Amino acid sequence: MDPLQRELLELICTTCNLHDVDLDQIGPDAPLIGPDSPLGTDSLDALEIAVTVQKEYGVRMDSENTSRVVLQSVAHLADYIMANR
Amino acid sequence: MPDFPHNQSAHCESGVAANLLTHQGIPMSEAMAFGIGGGLFFGYLPFIRINGLPLVTYRAAAGHILHRIAATPGVHMVEKKFRNQDEAMAELDRALAAGIPVGLQTGVFWLPYFPKALRFHFNAHNLVVYGKEGNDYLISDPVFPEPVRCPAQDLARARFASGALAPKGKMYYLTQVPAKLERRPLIVSGIQSVCRMMLAVPFPLIGVKGIRFLAGRMVRWPQRLGQDSADLHLGHVVRMQEEIGTGGGGFRFMYAAFLQESAEVMDAPLLHNCAASMTTAGDTWREFAAMAARICKKRARPDDSYPAMAECLNRCAALEKTVFTELRQWTKQHP
Repeated sequence: MDPLQRELLELICTTCNLHDVDLDQIGPDAPLIGPDSPLGTDSLDALEIAVTVQKEYGVRMDSENTSRVVLQSVAHLADYIMANR
Repeated sequence: MPDFPHNQSAHCESGVAANLLTHQGIPMSEAMAFGIGGGLFFGYLPFIRINGLPLVTYRAAAGHILHRIAATPGVHMVEKKFRNQDEAMAELDRALAAGIPVGLQTGVFWLPYFPKALRFHFNAHNLVVYGKEGNDYLISDPVFPEPVRCPAQDLARARFASGALAPKGKMYYLTQVPAKLERRPLIVSGIQSVCRMMLAVPFPLIGVKGIRFLAGRMVRWPQRLGQDSADLHLGHVVRMQEEIGTGGGGFRFMYAAFLQESAEVMDAPLLHNCAASMTTAGDTWREFAAMAARICKKRARPDDSYPAMAECLNRCAALEKTVFTELRQWTKQHP
């Protein structure tokens, strides 16, 4: 996992108050949101993550790049930030 | 395999409209279809309950965008509903055999290619069937990145899902489009339609007044309903905003994209400014939703509260009132 991906995972855990997550066990392509996510996050968490990412990195998830698409995995999210900031 | 221009979109109805027109040789973005279809709206309708919770909608009623596009001069769209499932599937097969891609209204819950977590009882999901191979229909479902397949019996079930907004086998397809679509009058008319709904409906639950009405109601929810029920109502408002379709913020961003594209077509710098303001409105809606999510998840920050959320909604109302007032003025200069 590259440094940005790791940084994003930490940011997500802080934003969503996830204290018991072993970040080393989460792969870059693991689902970020939904019942299959190792983080156990849902759509309300996704909303907070989208707002936090916009504040921290100045990158908006808009109508063409919805959080549904961008938040598929931490690798997707990192790529999106790199391409748009 | 039949050829169909599948483009992923944020919202199914505007995505299907754009893809069907593009297939007919009229390239159109989803945002443009959304805008000329007059897709933006706000309504808080507490007398209509969904799972016991009040209806909040951030976009026009299901079918509104397609109906407006079908009413465009030179465009002819065939629309059919059925009582009999076999007849509905046979009619679909006949259209496909003639090489016609067909739009369908379906119930999401019965579409097996949706991940289970996303299958909810929503009966106004639009998709395009563009072919059939064996027992599988080839589907351009605009919310998916690639075309998908669906077995015949599942598609039949989705077309005849029961409950609110039951599709009753509804299918539609374009039979005629103009050689060249003149977008300028459609843009003006689409903007006029949304301005009317957002500013001029006398009913207090609709448009900008409706956003303010919701703010006024919301601030009293904890006292009127109790904290748990208030949080439940709040979660519902946010899920309708951000989860169903593209949500309140998302629709505002899409309308901003439409205004941006229209500014170029119309050579109207004012539309650029309105697009920027609409993006700010989308950000404010999302700010409200994020605060609401924190309250629902019991991780509220010190400044998060029902009055603070109401204040946020009032800011959304003020922003949208300014944008649509400017747009209404602009449309008067472009009859």
